[in-house]
Amino acid sequence: MTRAELLADDPLWLILIKAVVLLLIGPLMTMFMVIFERKVVAWMQHRPGPNRVGPWGLLQSIADAIKLPFKEQIIPTTADRKVYFLAPIVSVIPSFLAFSVIPFGPQVSIFGEQTVLQLVDLPVGALVILACSSLGVYGIVLAGWASGSAYPLLGGLRSAAQVISYEIAMGLSIVGVILYSHSLSTGDIVDAQRDGWYFYLLIPSFVIYLISMVGETNRAPFDLPEAESELVGGFHTEYSSMKFAMFFLAEYTNMVIVSMFATTLFLGGYMAPWPISLIGDNYLNTGWWPVLWFMGKTMLLLFVFVWLRGTLPRMRYDQFMRLGWKVLVPVSLVWIVVIAGIRAFRNEPNISTSQILVFGGVALLVLIAVAMLIPDKRARAEDEYLVPVTGGGHPVPPLDLEVPKPPKRRSLSEAKVARKPAAVPAGQSTSDTPDKESE
Amino acid sequence: MLATVLTAQPVPPADKLSAPAIDYGAIMPVLIVLGAACVGVLVEAFLPKHQRWPVQVVLSLATLAGAGIAMAVYLGDESTPKNGVITLAGTLAVDRPALFLWGTLLVLTLGALLLIADRSVEPGGAFVAEAAIRPGTIQDRAQVAGTGMQTEVFPLTLFALGGMMVFTSANDLLTMFIALEVLSLPLYLMCGLARRRRLLSQEAAVKYFLLGAFASAFFLYGLALLYGYAGSVKLADISNAAAGTDRSDALLFGGLGLLVVGLLFKASVGPFHTWTPDVYQGAPTPITAFMAACTKVAAFGGMLRVLQVGFESTSWEWRGVLWGVAIVSMVIGAVLGLTQTDVKRMIAYSSIAHAGFLLIGSIALTDQGLSGTLFYLLTYGFTTLAAFGVISLVRNADGEATHLSQWAGLAKRSPVTAAVFTFILLALAGIPLTSGFVGKFVIFSAALQDGMAPLVVIALIASAVAAFFYLRVIVLMYFSEPAADGPSVTVPGAFTTASITLGVIATLVLGVLPAFALDWAGSGTFAFQ
Amino acid sequence: MSAVLAAAAAEVSTGEAIAFWVLGPVALAGALGMIFARNAVHSALWLVLTMLSLGVMYMVQQAPFLGFVQIIVYTGAVMMLFLFVLMLVGRDSSDSVVEVLRGQRLWATVLGIGIAGLIVGAVSRSLTDVPVENLQQQNAGGANVNNLGKSIFTEYLFPFELTSALLITAAMGAMVLGYLNRHEKGMKRTQKELVEARFRGEYERPSPLPGPGVFATANSVATPALLPDGSVAPESLSRLIDSTASETFSDEIKSVAGTEPGPDAHALTPSTKDTSTTDTKNTEDTEETR
Repeated sequence: MTRAELLADDPLWLILIKAVVLLLIGPLMTMFMVIFERKVVAWMQHRPGPNRVGPWGLLQSIADAIKLPFKEQIIPTTADRKVYFLAPIVSVIPSFLAFSVIPFGPQVSIFGEQTVLQLVDLPVGALVILACSSLGVYGIVLAGWASGSAYPLLGGLRSAAQVISYEIAMGLSIVGVILYSHSLSTGDIVDAQRDGWYFYLLIPSFVIYLISMVGETNRAPFDLPEAESELVGGFHTEYSSMKFAMFFLAEYTNMVIVSMFATTLFLGGYMAPWPISLIGDNYLNTGWWPVLWFMGKTMLLLFVFVWLRGTLPRMRYDQFMRLGWKVLVPVSLVWIVVIAGIRAFRNEPNISTSQILVFGGVALLVLIAVAMLIPDKRARAEDEYLVPVTGGGHPVPPLDLEVPKPPKRRSLSEAKVARKPAAVPAGQSTSDTPDKESE
Repeated sequence: MLATVLTAQPVPPADKLSAPAIDYGAIMPVLIVLGAACVGVLVEAFLPKHQRWPVQVVLSLATLAGAGIAMAVYLGDESTPKNGVITLAGTLAVDRPALFLWGTLLVLTLGALLLIADRSVEPGGAFVAEAAIRPGTIQDRAQVAGTGMQTEVFPLTLFALGGMMVFTSANDLLTMFIALEVLSLPLYLMCGLARRRRLLSQEAAVKYFLLGAFASAFFLYGLALLYGYAGSVKLADISNAAAGTDRSDALLFGGLGLLVVGLLFKASVGPFHTWTPDVYQGAPTPITAFMAACTKVAAFGGMLRVLQVGFESTSWEWRGVLWGVAIVSMVIGAVLGLTQTDVKRMIAYSSIAHAGFLLIGSIALTDQGLSGTLFYLLTYGFTTLAAFGVISLVRNADGEATHLSQWAGLAKRSPVTAAVFTFILLALAGIPLTSGFVGKFVIFSAALQDGMAPLVVIALIASAVAAFFYLRVIVLMYFSEPAADGPSVTVPGAFTTASITLGVIATLVLGVLPAFALDWAGSGTFAFQ
Repeated sequence: MSAVLAAAAAEVSTGEAIAFWVLGPVALAGALGMIFARNAVHSALWLVLTMLSLGVMYMVQQAPFLGFVQIIVYTGAVMMLFLFVLMLVGRDSSDSVVEVLRGQRLWATVLGIGIAGLIVGAVSRSLTDVPVENLQQQNAGGANVNNLGKSIFTEYLFPFELTSALLITAAMGAMVLGYLNRHEKGMKRTQKELVEARFRGEYERPSPLPGPGVFATANSVATPALLPDGSVAPESLSRLIDSTASETFSDEIKSVAGTEPGPDAHALTPSTKDTSTTDTKNTEDTEETR
């Protein structure tokens, strides 16, 4: 039976069990991610990290989860109350919905019922996840608008622009996978990776997906909608208590979702990685084992998220937009054309691989030759008003700049002593000058 | 990496799709125009600013020439079928009327393009240097004096032309809708790019865009209803479905009504004309010329095909309504035209009246009606092109002087301009020895043969009324004293001269020796498949 | 799945009927809400509701691809851009209740209801007379998307390609109307040019204004910064903050709350209670008394 038929056979109780488990995954993963992130970042920064609650501070996220809903709820007077209440809900629900199309494992038996570890296998599964992420951003935008204050509004605006831009790059990076797997269904995409995972077959797509998934989830270094140093807290500045907790939940759930989606699309989904797949005639790829591999791969990607946050500084907004529109989107488009071209050649029975390689090489040479022909950027013409620049590229202050008078506290002789070493020419030995001074 | 992509993943034997048969010879003109438009966009992207204008002008003119040659080659080919071909999976019908309209569009666009490219009448051209600068700012005042222009106008014109050509030969309603958008979008944009009176120009663009979007929505809703009726968007299928009458007519006529509203809007007919005067007045004059001449050709070309191919069998039901629309259009054009004090608005109302005449030809579902309408479109296009060419010459310090009072005594200042404009106005009025007369004659005779005598009588009265306001301008030019601070007539450069000459000579030739064009217009009918 | 689809195609299943009778009113409510909402953002949200319901309806009626594309493109991108613009316009902007044209509202209502009735009547009457097309052919083999792709690249190849002309035009239009070369002469300066101009003396001072002096003694941005010689830098306070009421009443607030600062340990002389100006920085006081 195919995957879809198996799923269509599920009795109602099984569907309910699956739905409840999926609903639990989000909060549980969030709680795990909170402590994981804090511990890993602390480890990278040579600090102990949270260490008060429970052994090694491992219960910290439970404490947080209890604390947050019980905090005082503050609603700004300028808030648009209906939308203000709606926004956190809108942001959470789509992120939970997206779990329903993720394939966690192959065919298993649950209480004697044969089924697949997936809630539903739609023929357009990949689009479901994109749709959910495009709906989730409503929560952020509306939160920013409804708060009735300047910083959240800016955060909301940034978020709208950011998610729309990076969704394009993300959608385009998926196109390569779809061209290879002949299907939009997530289950079929995993099955199609039996002969090779797409992360090395489609390296550009994978890289673009990784970058855009960070942009899509508003995570560092692309966390501009909530940039603390610029916008206080961005879109959730005015939120507190349970409503803030929901945004928190949505952000981490989204991270989990995009990681799971990346696993499904590029990392072979639930299939066992290479050396393990050799054991016992691929025994570890049956039954409940694949769930382990799937979660392992997801964890790897989640670690990448934390790693990025611990390593990279936040990008400037215009740089970020430039990266999206001028690098990721064009590169994806060119890459799609390349894939399509290669596939078209391969569908021709009369052309051999070596011929393609030869033609490809010739095309590459021509491209290189063309690249050589492009002239270098001309240096800008000398400007008479140009300010003199030092070796380090810093402009030199004008000579007639008025230097503020030094404070009067020190006596004149002290000042002279203090300045003297600076007057020593660079080549001269300075070792004995202080001695003279002390004498 | 290339190697891994090539070697891994054996391709499953997919059931290959076969692309639809394409008659490249037949659709080559369209391909040339659209392809050149894309090249024009690349020129904008990669050439430095000062090189763009010459390159774009040469490219656009070469495109028109190339498309014309491709069409001539196709027509001259012995193997070209007389009844036309339907290609690209039935989406395009390249038949004799379509080819006639393509030719008309190409020649008229050539004239409009010369006006667009002209930089002698207004230093730097009629287009703004940077449209993104807000009107009225310091930068804006600085750029009026500059000589730059948005050369994007050239590829936009070509895109619009491509859309028009597809529109006239679209064999199904979906293609027609997309072509409608392809032709409209560049026009909306170009309307807002005038160098002078920018707020007026931008207002015109917004107005045209909003109303055009509504018209497109009407068209689309009609399309949906017709698809519900016939289960297909192909005109021939709709016609066949309508012939067997077991289905509900509510969908058919609801759909047709909404569809035709969209078309009538584009053709600025009758009660759907409200955008016309404002947009004609606000848009840069070369664009007004392009719109007035070419959009009308495309819109009526599309309408002829829809009515004759898709809805001939049900003509009894809808014809009465279009009678009414034609009458309303002629009356509005003629009566409101009398009250206008601005030359561009006056020509706009005249175009509404002419749209009424054209509609008479379109609803005469005979071969004479078809050929007459085609011929009228050709003549009207040339005349109106020349008219706007002349209007762009009469200027004062603020740009074009379009108020009628400023045209007083123009004959004393510039006898040649006044004479040319007089000739054009006579052609618009339909005086013998001009093309306007022959056009009206063929349309009215076709209508008479098809039993629409009352309509012809009303049309004659309307043209008599309309003739009055044309003559008023002539009287103003010749028998009034020129105002002391009146406008001056600019000596046009080669481009504008060529364009006006083209329009005037065509008006004269088609008025004196119309036979060859009439033969060509009547050389075939729409392909039905 | 294909079996389910095929079965569902034959007649309206219970599930589909339930979905329709839930989503239909919701979509209608969204549409009406869009018209009657006073606030533009609320209008947009109502419209989002309608579009979502339509998307789900498409899915229920065996067009999953269309349904999700509706959600991604219309709700996700198009409406988001609408919201973007509305938010930029300002949150207080709402419909004016003044009628510009007299009687327009009345006539619009009458004619709107009239045409709605006409269309609903016509369409509902024709439902019985028109042969029903289902999606069985498009969904053959459970491959809705594949068949859609086939149609696009065979039957509707030309319209599909023609839309590219539309998109190019739209992109170029946006460029023409929106792109301003800010780095030409007379336009906005780059960061580098600005620094150079500052050093040339085209601005009042070469450096930016000093930031506020948020020190250990106060968390408020209303605290002025101190210059190296210990005097107050008046430029460090924003004029906006300077004139707020909280600052003028700060001493009263403190005396009422009982949080008056005690004598400063670092002060050389005991601070005299200063009720005159800003909210009492001890450092500042010591400087002044010295």
